[in-house]
Amino acid sequence: MVTKTSADVVIVGTGVVGVVIAEQMLDAGHSVLMIEAGPRVSRAEVVENWRNSPLGVKGDTSVAYPSRPWAPHPMGGEKPEDAYLQFSGPDAYDQTFIRYAGGSTWHWAGTSWRLTPEDMRINSLYGVGRDWAFDYETLEPYYVRTEHKLGICGPADRTQQWPQTGTRSAPYPMPALPFSPGEVKFTEVVKTLGYNNIPVAQARNSGMPYDGRPACCGNNNCVPVCPVAAKYDAETALHRLEKKGATLLVDSVVYKVETSAQNKIEAVHFYDQHKQSHRISGKLFVLACNGLENPKLLLMSTDDRNPNGIANSSDQVGRNMMDHPARSFTVTTKEPFWSGIGPVVNSGIMETSQGSFRSEHAGAYFRYNNFARNRFVTFAALKKGLVGKALDEEIRRMTACTADIVAAHEILADPNNRLTLSDKKDWLGLPKPSIHYDVGDYVRKCWEVYSQPIGKQIAEAMGATDIKISPKFNNSKHIMGGTIMGKDASNSVVDVDCRAHDHENLFIPGGGAMAAGACGNSTITMVALALKAGDAMVDQMRGA
Amino acid sequence: MTRQSNDPNGKLVMSRRGMLLSGATLLAGTLAASLCPTISLAAVDTGAQSRFMQLSSLLINHQLNPDVGARIAETATGEYKNFAGMLDAIIAIAEQKQAKTVEDFFGDIPEGELRDFAHWVIFAWYSGCSSEKRNAKVFTYEEALTFKTTSDILTIPSYGISGPNLWTRPNLPLSAPMPTF
Repeated sequence: MVTKTSADVVIVGTGVVGVVIAEQMLDAGHSVLMIEAGPRVSRAEVVENWRNSPLGVKGDTSVAYPSRPWAPHPMGGEKPEDAYLQFSGPDAYDQTFIRYAGGSTWHWAGTSWRLTPEDMRINSLYGVGRDWAFDYETLEPYYVRTEHKLGICGPADRTQQWPQTGTRSAPYPMPALPFSPGEVKFTEVVKTLGYNNIPVAQARNSGMPYDGRPACCGNNNCVPVCPVAAKYDAETALHRLEKKGATLLVDSVVYKVETSAQNKIEAVHFYDQHKQSHRISGKLFVLACNGLENPKLLLMSTDDRNPNGIANSSDQVGRNMMDHPARSFTVTTKEPFWSGIGPVVNSGIMETSQGSFRSEHAGAYFRYNNFARNRFVTFAALKKGLVGKALDEEIRRMTACTADIVAAHEILADPNNRLTLSDKKDWLGLPKPSIHYDVGDYVRKCWEVYSQPIGKQIAEAMGATDIKISPKFNNSKHIMGGTIMGKDASNSVVDVDCRAHDHENLFIPGGGAMAAGACGNSTITMVALALKAGDAMVDQMRGA
Repeated sequence: MTRQSNDPNGKLVMSRRGMLLSGATLLAGTLAASLCPTISLAAVDTGAQSRFMQLSSLLINHQLNPDVGARIAETATGEYKNFAGMLDAIIAIAEQKQAKTVEDFFGDIPEGELRDFAHWVIFAWYSGCSSEKRNAKVFTYEEALTFKTTSDILTIPSYGISGPNLWTRPNLPLSAPMPTF
């Protein structure tokens, strides 16, 4: 049975990873208690937060999700010394995530590219990075389950699907969303260069309701929040989980993982918003509280048996932090593209992420950002000093004739890209995360010899009259690494089921386990790993 | 004041002609009220707001929502010490030129404080905010005029003008007419 202090399965975090595991365990007849650091809010509140934010900061997703004092997460506009995330190294690991019930899928784009078989064997094939501990064919059934669980739409035409190699054992549950006029034009343009801009697989309801959520109507606001929940986010599942018997604690910040004499996990401890401590015991424990919060919690939880932190006998907890370092090309064109019709990301060029060049440098994925451009161009148009008809025409022209093309790069797992505990403390007195980060020469060389030339080539083919390139690598907010997977317990944190090598009843599924992240967005792989871990947990509870 | 048939939110929107005509009446009313010792500060503010709407309608060739204007005027009152004087000065320039559109008189507004204020008023209506900054005051989102310039083809993000998978359409050329707003 589940109580407020104990359950068969205790899950820290209520994001997509925790939610899919919770449902698996509930369906298998086990009691589930979920613990969320932040608040639970309504969709209407999030939408209003965003609508009421100034036009100049609407690109900052955190304006829709103000953090609570006890559960800080990155907020835009903070001074570096006051910020929650502390940085060192040549590049800032400047991520966005939220500590709210439902987690960061609240503001994901819904993009759901699978890894390729080659992505998972990058060391064997190209001599760089780390191989996954299993192959694509092992993961493929979990991808299918993920696509049906989240409601991921995609093309039925095999030539338009990703990846082109490896198995696809079942179709997408919904057809691909149609392209906007700008995407059609972009697709035609890049075709002249030999590139295929294909429909992105995305967790958005295409032409029909799915899983009790409505069809996408092109509100063009997937990031930072879909106002109608046509895009999957984990918040949409919480009511269903509660109906199935899950207990959900919010505003409860887990700060310690407790072990038994046998070095099994015995309990977790959390602070409520009044700084009172509570203890939750269970049989199986899942840490699903984000790729940064998971390693932070593990490192904080030292005891005599685990002096370097829980699950950290390998000294790999917090290491190998990855993302998809991105550079953008803001292109001004002669003819209109009209970005902003339909969802915000609807297509991409993935084939540029693959090739034998990966022995020398990273690959890159190119996407046409389909955000409506008004908020990007209005201030620039106003600064021209125009009035009346000339101002109207200039805003309209700039909205129609500018576009962002983004190149997202593959980074290698590097143990020096590392999260540690800062000596700076948060509101509860807990250490802030500190991350040392360098995108590395593998990425930088790609930019110099491969992705930047391709991006410029695309921009010119679009009829660019001006190209502005972002001066540095930006983060894609795809947090990976930190609790890396491997078969060898001496250099990895979790096994092939995301079970901690050091603790048989502790599971740490999600992006932290990914040994290589390629170029595509990580959530679909995180969920596939969660489902695989869930299967292992059901077996473990059965005593198999 | 008339209810406009193209107002998507069903709110009262003052027509440009109505605004220009009513401005003089409201100004007269405000002046009369200011002579009455029992008049409240709020009534004086209402007069200033009406005067501000008159100015706005001279600076912007479109229909404007008085509720939004009241919010902009409230901020302007706090941020511009010579708010009332600048209203009068710019309106006087427009009247002297017998201006029907902003193009008729904007070039006559002298550089400096007056011209900057005029640009700020335009900025506020088009962006819906007091500045580009994080701490900007927000006057409106969905009625910011920037979105009106593209309302024939683009949704205001988070709102919808389409239906399920109904956004496939030919690309609109720049020569397509500007929406009326």
